[in-house]
Amino acid sequence: MSNMERRDFLKLSAMTAATAAAQAKAGVERKAIHTDDHGIRWDKAPCRFCGTGCHVKVGVKDGKVIAIAGAEDADVNKGLLCVKGYHVGGILYGKDRLTTPMLRKEGKLEPISWDEAITVVADRIYKEPKKFAFYGSGQWTIPEGYAAQKFIKGGLSNNHIDPNARLCMASAVTGFISTYGVDEPAGTYDDLDNASVVIFWGNNPAEMHPVLFSRIVDRRSRGEKVTIIDIGTRRTRSTEFADHYLEFRPQTDLAIANCIAHYLIESDCYDKEFVSKHCNFRIDVDDTTRDLFGKASSFEEYKQQMSTYTFEYTSQLSGVPEEQLKVLAEAFADPESRITSLWCMGVNQHYRGTAMNRLLHGIHLLSGHFGKPGDAPTSLTGQPSACGTAREVGTLAHALPGGRIVKKPAHREACEKAWNMAPGTINPKPGYHTVKMFEQFCKPTAEGGDISTVLVQVTNPGQTLPNLYKLFEAKKDLEDKFLIVSEVYPTATTELADLVLPAALWVEKGGVYGNSERRTQQWFKQVNPPGGAREDLWMTIAIARKLFDMGYPGMKDQDGKFIFSYNDEQGNEVPIWDYDHFHDINVDRELYEEYRPLTHGKRKNVAPYDVLVNAHGLRWPVVQTKDGNWRETRFRFTEADDPFVKKGTGIQFYNSTTKDDKAQIWFCPYEAAPEEPNKEYPFWLCTGRVLEHWHSGTMTMRVDQLRKAMPKAYVELNPKDAAEKGINNGDLVQLTTARGDLVLPAWINGRARPPRGSVFVPFFDEKLLINRLTLDAYCPVSKEPDYKKCATKVEKYDPIEKKPLP
Amino acid sequence: MEDRSQPISRRGLFEALVRPFARHAGGDDGAGLAQGNPSRPADDGTPKVAIIQGRFCLAYQGGVCFTCSERCPVPDALTTEKGIPTVHADICTGCGICHDLCPAPRNAILMLAPPETPALARS
Repeated sequence: MSNMERRDFLKLSAMTAATAAAQAKAGVERKAIHTDDHGIRWDKAPCRFCGTGCHVKVGVKDGKVIAIAGAEDADVNKGLLCVKGYHVGGILYGKDRLTTPMLRKEGKLEPISWDEAITVVADRIYKEPKKFAFYGSGQWTIPEGYAAQKFIKGGLSNNHIDPNARLCMASAVTGFISTYGVDEPAGTYDDLDNASVVIFWGNNPAEMHPVLFSRIVDRRSRGEKVTIIDIGTRRTRSTEFADHYLEFRPQTDLAIANCIAHYLIESDCYDKEFVSKHCNFRIDVDDTTRDLFGKASSFEEYKQQMSTYTFEYTSQLSGVPEEQLKVLAEAFADPESRITSLWCMGVNQHYRGTAMNRLLHGIHLLSGHFGKPGDAPTSLTGQPSACGTAREVGTLAHALPGGRIVKKPAHREACEKAWNMAPGTINPKPGYHTVKMFEQFCKPTAEGGDISTVLVQVTNPGQTLPNLYKLFEAKKDLEDKFLIVSEVYPTATTELADLVLPAALWVEKGGVYGNSERRTQQWFKQVNPPGGAREDLWMTIAIARKLFDMGYPGMKDQDGKFIFSYNDEQGNEVPIWDYDHFHDINVDRELYEEYRPLTHGKRKNVAPYDVLVNAHGLRWPVVQTKDGNWRETRFRFTEADDPFVKKGTGIQFYNSTTKDDKAQIWFCPYEAAPEEPNKEYPFWLCTGRVLEHWHSGTMTMRVDQLRKAMPKAYVELNPKDAAEKGINNGDLVQLTTARGDLVLPAWINGRARPPRGSVFVPFFDEKLLINRLTLDAYCPVSKEPDYKKCATKVEKYDPIEKKPLP
Repeated sequence: MEDRSQPISRRGLFEALVRPFARHAGGDDGAGLAQGNPSRPADDGTPKVAIIQGRFCLAYQGGVCFTCSERCPVPDALTTEKGIPTVHADICTGCGICHDLCPAPRNAILMLAPPETPALARS
């Protein structure tokens, strides 16, 4: 195919795909499922791994997933998958799957029956319902998260529920809410096809979101011009494709964003019309208070505060040459450019994560690079349903479904009504956020540690919490604390578990996920879980039912019915708590449809379950058109696309915190990192992921090809630092922070190029737990810890003497 | 743009001969397997060279993957340009590590006789 033909072909197929996906009809048969000539039954599912939300075709034969292919007709990935995605089927078949519940007796995990296991959990909760905490995940399906939420916040009137998304996306949430009054990006991946400039803010999509990265780079091979600006603290695989690379001293990204704002104002090239029509200014209450809403400010005050951030000052602070800062500022000053900013953990896992999120929205709003195709500040998510389950279902300690919060009486009332529970059921006081939850769990009861039981589902806090000795391993010596872990494989978390519940994984159960771009995606169960492994959703319902049978009052609604009571088509209640009957009805559909009306309050209208059955996901708000079709939204808050925007307004921020349909442009100052390199610990330590492994590696390390490609953790060193310390590739190096130490093999330069005075360690390796070293200081607004910077000592290690070399 | 495949110094060049995973690697992980993988065609002692099959290679297919170039123990034998790997047959020693570690769903690397000594002529 010649270049010209290829481009036309791609354009045409992209258009067709967009039209087809944007509209889907309800109540039709399942189209995705078919059996091919080899007897392989093919069905659809979103990939299990990251927040991109690629769609895969799952091939099943003889009750086993035997083939995976990219779904060509899926908008997100158009048939492409990353190296992990191609092997996603393999995660089900690791040799050490957990298949039976196990209770720790005299220090050893011994098999017990499901009945016993559920009784143990229910007894713990019954005795101390207020000391129970539920720790969930952005890998929970929407029905799983919704059931957990209803169970604990409704059934137990207890708000101690938080997802691991607290460690991942919380700063993005507070950034969106304090700017637009509502969570989640206005733009979508479609912007990546239209942007003339794509900026990576502390982001490495080549490894973390490879399918989106390919989507951007592929435009270049079609002859389109896309300028990539990479702003980071180390060179990464993404940098290889960047036109400009700005390397900044950790934490000074705050100053860089402010420097852009300063330039736009000083050179009088900010978008005056956009700002006057659609924006207010906002600032922290005072020099020390850091809260979600701050106080109103003015353009004059904003301008005055920004005046500090000259090119000269910012360059000195950040180490980025002035000419490079100018390139970045001029991109924003150019009204013709179309700028998409992408960010993920670099901005969110940040001691001032909320501030950095606000500043990114701020420079887009100030420059008017918002609301046109290709002009969007878009945060990416790392987990497949961080948006769907953590953020939309609101499984956070302070939140309720649909963007509601426990503090607001009207919000509690709406949920109590939906759940048919007595007024006053929901506790108005937020529960413990993740760090606090585990702090209280690992603190002796006598010293005020008022969490006695934690139930963990679909995540691995024993590897992923920061400062692991303090926040997880300290539990070991506390006899009265009880850790329940629902897991698929043995992990760092099950290591300390008192009760292990074997769980079904991915297509061994049905589910609904919500990806980074507001896309809700549904799938059906396609194979049986191995042995006695069961669905997390069933576990939650069975625990609730056991409490109901024990007479726990909260497990009854106002009519005396069980809180998870669902009927079959004949109107008879199905005992779904009995596993033999769990699949008699589609429990996912029941819970999802119960949850769906709760999304309408803030106009996050998710699509009906039956519509999702035959779509590769739909992006909310999804509304029904006159012809009966359901239409998704690509550009939120813009009249051209968002059905909730009033005609004639152009852009309307209809969830505005100032109730005037305007967004808030924040001023947030540069503030120093909580721990900076010093005499004793002279290096910066940064942690993160690698392409081949996802999250804590429990799934990907069990796929041969992925484990072989990246077998163990390492420490990335700058060659000059290594030479100075006499460290060669493969030598052992001891890292020591104020919290712990770890010995790892050195990789000089490694995958990236860490600048002098900094090292990088990936966190996927359960044998080399870097989070024993990381810092548990967090953003004061989002409570998300900073995994990207702390101070460490670097020493060559002697494997014979087993100590650092002098 | 810097070419990342170039070692920094002469010393670095020698160090690159010993890649981090070649040492201190556990029994069942990548480097261990690299020393003797049963899935590799039997080594008949003839010289071999790695050939990348573009239709199976994730990088060629528009994806992101760099296992082969990253883990090749011979400097400059397997380089990348804009993410696409190329084997330099004159430098490749035919050790087969790239073949053993290729994570593509269908292995993209063939170990064949070098171009200057065609298999036919040898047999």
